[in-house]
Amino acid sequence: MKSKKSQIYKEASTLPSIVPPWLAAVLSAIVPGLGQALARAVQRGLVIFFSFISIIGLLVWRFKDAAPRDEGVVDIVRKAFRLEPIFVLISILFVIFYIWIIIDAYQMAKIAGKPDKRKPIVVMVLLILVFFVIGWQIGQIDLYAFVTKFGDALPAISRVLWPWERAITYPEETWMGTAGLETPCDDTPPPPTEPLEDKPYLIVDPTCGTPSEQIDQEDGTIEVMPGTKLHVEGYNFTPEKEVEIWWKDPAISQFRHREGGDILRVIPDENGYFEEEITWPYRLIPDSYLEGGANWELQGRQVTTIGDWEFSAELKMAIEKMIETIFIGMMATFFGIILALPFSFLAARNLMRANAFTLGIYYLVRGVLNIIRSIEPLIWAIIAIIIVGLGPFAGILALVVHSIAALGKLYSEAIESIDSGPIEAVTATGANWLQTIMYGVIPQIIPPFVSFTIYRWDINIRMSTVIGLVGGGGIGYLLTQWIRMLDYSAAGIAVWFIAITVALLDYISAEIRERFI
Amino acid sequence: MLEIRNLTKIYEDGTLAVDDVSFTVPDGEFLVVIGLSGSGKSTLLRCINRLIDPTEGEIIWNGIDLAKLEGDELRHARRKIGMVFQHFNLVDRSSVLTNILTGRLGYSKTWPTMLHRFPIEDREKAWQTLERLGIEDQAHKLARELSGGQQQRVGIARALMQDPELMLADEPVASLDPVLAHSILQHLEDLNQEDGLTIICSLHYLDLVQRYSTSVIGLKAGKLVYQGSKKDIRNMTDDEFKTIYGEEAIRISDTSLEGSLGEVVEQ
Ligand SMILES: Nc1ncnc2c1ncn2[C@@H]1O[C@H](COP(=O)(O)OP(=O)(O)OP(=O)(O)O)[C@@H](O)[C@H]1O
Ligand SMILES: [Mg+2]
Repeated sequence: MKSKKSQIYKEASTLPSIVPPWLAAVLSAIVPGLGQALARAVQRGLVIFFSFISIIGLLVWRFKDAAPRDEGVVDIVRKAFRLEPIFVLISILFVIFYIWIIIDAYQMAKIAGKPDKRKPIVVMVLLILVFFVIGWQIGQIDLYAFVTKFGDALPAISRVLWPWERAITYPEETWMGTAGLETPCDDTPPPPTEPLEDKPYLIVDPTCGTPSEQIDQEDGTIEVMPGTKLHVEGYNFTPEKEVEIWWKDPAISQFRHREGGDILRVIPDENGYFEEEITWPYRLIPDSYLEGGANWELQGRQVTTIGDWEFSAELKMAIEKMIETIFIGMMATFFGIILALPFSFLAARNLMRANAFTLGIYYLVRGVLNIIRSIEPLIWAIIAIIIVGLGPFAGILALVVHSIAALGKLYSEAIESIDSGPIEAVTATGANWLQTIMYGVIPQIIPPFVSFTIYRWDINIRMSTVIGLVGGGGIGYLLTQWIRMLDYSAAGIAVWFIAITVALLDYISAEIRERFI
Repeated sequence: MLEIRNLTKIYEDGTLAVDDVSFTVPDGEFLVVIGLSGSGKSTLLRCINRLIDPTEGEIIWNGIDLAKLEGDELRHARRKIGMVFQHFNLVDRSSVLTNILTGRLGYSKTWPTMLHRFPIEDREKAWQTLERLGIEDQAHKLARELSGGQQQRVGIARALMQDPELMLADEPVASLDPVLAHSILQHLEDLNQEDGLTIICSLHYLDLVQRYSTSVIGLKAGKLVYQGSKKDIRNMTDDEFKTIYGEEAIRISDTSLEGSLGEVVEQ
């Protein structure tokens, strides 16, 4: 049939053109490809027509997309050219293509019926270039941003690459000295702090005053009225160790003191003493807290580590979730194998071709397996989450479904490819059906089954690390959370665990495969 | 004694592979079947142990018509018929020992064999057979790790484990080089002469046919076109040969397939 077709095509191409060259050119200028088609190059005409139509479609979409608020072709094009100069390049290429179509129609009509064939190599390159440039624009590829912003991302990336400071923590104790303050000032300001033995304390002067205030100006700007200047002295702190200055406002929220926008750090001298001038900060406090005057508290805090290092909570969580991940992959593989086995026999052609009914089952099972397999585990996970909710079970379900389909296909192909020779030989010895299966079939399918199963377990572990991204449990879940919290070090720990585990399992499965096959 | 009567095999696709063939094989014979590729040699041999169901005809062996047997009766008849294959048909990934023990399956209870348990006598017999064929060193290797000649000896050993009274060999040496071919056929000759085993063997090489056969049949397009003794094949004429191998025979000799039947033409 194919040869017949090409014969017809051949005959047609030896005929002269239906239209004269100039008309072919005009027709192709109106309907691109029509001239070529009438010049007996139907295929060429169709390719040109559909390429042209799709480029037009893409261009309309991209131009509209670039200038969504503009009306009128000229405005849109002008705006798009200004915003994204790449459109100029696309348009030039497109115009070249259009001109080539017209010239080509002329020449095709001229050489129609003659044996010399023109191969459109240059225009093929041009076409590919057009689609490539449009693709570049659609993909919003921005190498400049990639290069220039790479530097900004380096701190985060370096934390991901080497996150291990975050893996251990030291238990901490806060060493704190305080002083009370009152606002507004009344007749009896609170007395200064009583000095303490062996414990840190602060003395503030004065002990009453007013916080900074923000005043909205007429012109919409905000002006800050600085609050009372305070002289702070600290005693009995651990020498030469940073003291953090904190406030506790009347609404009992605590915050760190900033002077001129920067966090204030003070280092006490060798006697544990420091002094510092600070401005009473601004704080928006609900009126109900201010009735009859309000008490503020100034705190000096020293955080000291006590005792030995221990593993951080993040590390522990990462380990727990990694184990969970491995088990998700394992359980999924396990159920996948058990459920794939019966399907694999139904999907093996050599077993099912006996009659029309079994052949029908074969096609049905094959079809369903193919459809299931073509849907990514991540999408199955989303579906599973709708049914059973977030968590590892959803992940297991998703991977099981995908494993059944993938393993079912691989197993059935293994069954299809078994050698009938040994089966014949075992039958010839007078063995019964069960014995023939046991000695002729099973030894042949075990190695590929083991191989495919290990391969699948490999994939499942890998997949289970990402199935958490959509909420299917495992380490992926932690990873997304930490990335959202911008905790790149913790995320780095998760990434490291994933990498190590996958590499390790790769190695192990390669070893097992070697032993078995 | 084996008596083939009017045996015909037509495959589902309509191919007439064996066409009304009748002949007799007395006990203790070394019968060689010759014929062009596609002439129906394999089909004929496979009909005898019913790996293929014949379309018509009778296969009378020791008074029983093998063509009519079903189920357990067929299996019991098969136990006594060993078969050796061109491509050995060993279970590649099983050990040599397991492959050989497979020959005892027909005599064993089903359930123990599911757990790879065989009676101790069978295991001893397996070792004796291995020794007899000179491959006892290979017992624990996987079948596929063996050389071709060793594999075919395993194939023979497997058939011997059946205590066969008839041995079918379908081009047992076609995938082996000439030296190995002789050593394998010598094993079969041994069995034929020492144990009185009846052997039906298809072969392609004239020198091998002349050297080992006690009688010969020739097939052409499924029909029996030649029947002769060892002496007859020694004195075979060009014309007789051409009736079996057709005009192609000359071409075969031109391509100088050494030792092939084509040489008959030149001799
Ligand atoms: N399963 C089958 N279905 C249909 N036709 C078959 C089948 N097996 C063999 N045939 C055909 O039957 C004929 C005889 O085949 P057979 O294998 O018996 O020949 P042979 O003499 O053994 O050939 P060779 O020397 O190549 O092994 C051939 O035409 C072959 O194509
Ligand atoms: Mg054959």
